[in-house]
Amino acid sequence: MIFRGAEAVVEKIEWQGSSAISKVRNKRSYRHPDLEKRLVTERLRSESRVIERLLSGGVLVPALYEVNVEKSQIIMEFLEGITLEKGLRTGEYKKYLVSTAKLLSQIHSLGIVHGDPTTSNFVISDDLYAIDFGLSTFNDDAESRASDLRVFLESLEAHHSEILGREIFLEAYSVWNSSKEVLEALEVLELRGRYNLMRG
Amino acid sequence: MSEIVIGIESTAHTAGVGIITSEGKILSNQRSMYIPKEGGIHPREAARHHSDKFPILFENAFEDANLTPSDINLVSYARGPGLGPCLRTGATAARAFAYTNNIPLIGVNHCVAHLEIGLLEGATDPVLLYLSGANTQVIAYASEKYRVFGETIDIGIGNGLDKFAREAGMGFPGGPKIEKLAQGPDLLDLPYSVKGMDMAFSGLMTAAKSKLDSGHSIETVTYSLQENAFAMSCEVAERALAHTGKTELVLGGGVACNERLREMATIMAEERGVKCFIPSKDLCVDNGVMIGWLGYQMVNGSYQITEEDNRVHQKYRTDMVEVTWR
Repeated sequence: MIFRGAEAVVEKIEWQGSSAISKVRNKRSYRHPDLEKRLVTERLRSESRVIERLLSGGVLVPALYEVNVEKSQIIMEFLEGITLEKGLRTGEYKKYLVSTAKLLSQIHSLGIVHGDPTTSNFVISDDLYAIDFGLSTFNDDAESRASDLRVFLESLEAHHSEILGREIFLEAYSVWNSSKEVLEALEVLELRGRYNLMRG
Repeated sequence: MSEIVIGIESTAHTAGVGIITSEGKILSNQRSMYIPKEGGIHPREAARHHSDKFPILFENAFEDANLTPSDINLVSYARGPGLGPCLRTGATAARAFAYTNNIPLIGVNHCVAHLEIGLLEGATDPVLLYLSGANTQVIAYASEKYRVFGETIDIGIGNGLDKFAREAGMGFPGGPKIEKLAQGPDLLDLPYSVKGMDMAFSGLMTAAKSKLDSGHSIETVTYSLQENAFAMSCEVAERALAHTGKTELVLGGGVACNERLREMATIMAEERGVKCFIPSKDLCVDNGVMIGWLGYQMVNGSYQITEEDNRVHQKYRTDMVEVTWR
């Protein structure tokens, strides 16, 4: 299994006798070598710090096995299961939407925004897990959190126009006691021209 | 039978008149650029420049193409986005010419024109990295519209470069002057601001200016500025390519004349295994040819000219256009 994304090559490998995921950031030779090195190091460090923080906060994310700055590689736990994108096409989609909202609010409550929480970045294994923290940052302002919600809702609309996920998702998110400010910021965000037009 | 289209561009600094055939043969590409004596663009001054220049641009275009107004089958002008006074000047010229000679008139979107001129280079369904003064967008076609996949969340890349150049005392336009001065290989640490598929430039420009003020050479500062700004743009384009699964990249906009940007985009495309189409510099900058070409594509497709086509639209966004001609 191999996946070649914009940011990295993701592969299933053997690590100390068990299955694992290896993520190697793409080399971009169009960038100045110093800039390339700086960005790869920054992003690798940030990604592993985010995962560590989430793990220690008890959020369901893959365990971190190894970080190799030289090879720009991260090795993580392999989760057997399907993506949320597929899960939403099953009869249990309501349950999954509620779990996703809960998971995202947990991430936010630890002072982290995911950065790219599309339906492909959640995995349904024994439970629902969040994956891919390549664009995540330590950040607790309402607008960045709202932008996470927007990204999720957008991916929901794009791929699952047949289900009415928006209300279920936002209602489950609003259970979190700091959600009010975020949901207000989401309203402001969605009033901006671009998002309205993009949906039209 | 071959049809002949005249295209009129006046969204910002450039007044342009282009003549192109329905087969894509460019018969003339006349341009005149307003250059402010000091400071940035003054919309009314720019509009005055355009209204002064349009008569001679038309005259030169017809002479160059060896045609007369009666040979023209369609008049196309840029409805927007752009500066109101400038847009109205171009629209007035287009209407006057069309009505006097009894030729159909169509208004088109300037940003879409930058993309569609890339199709003339051989692309079929590309991602456009569109870098100009005010516009900094990554655009691609998806379900009946050209959609903006990524863009600047503060200032346009070209306006940013111009602002830096102005503050460093280089004058307008800043991009080519920065390109000339830029000298590596030393790289200064400057902000690199990519957020998902969006980018931000104002912090980068401010940081570059402060590096200059703290005594770094103009050669190193301009070099580092270019390296960061263009790598950010290419990274966003790369993300859009991965996201959409498209296999063609087109460059457009005045900043796409920069050799270093062209080089970076070429390398990126090669590493991703996608084709890179870079229009000639005459077609990357604002020009009438692309406006004419898009107008013809629309009319030749199933686009119906409406009353709306008579009106300029300052905030005519890329994703407002219903693409009925593809």
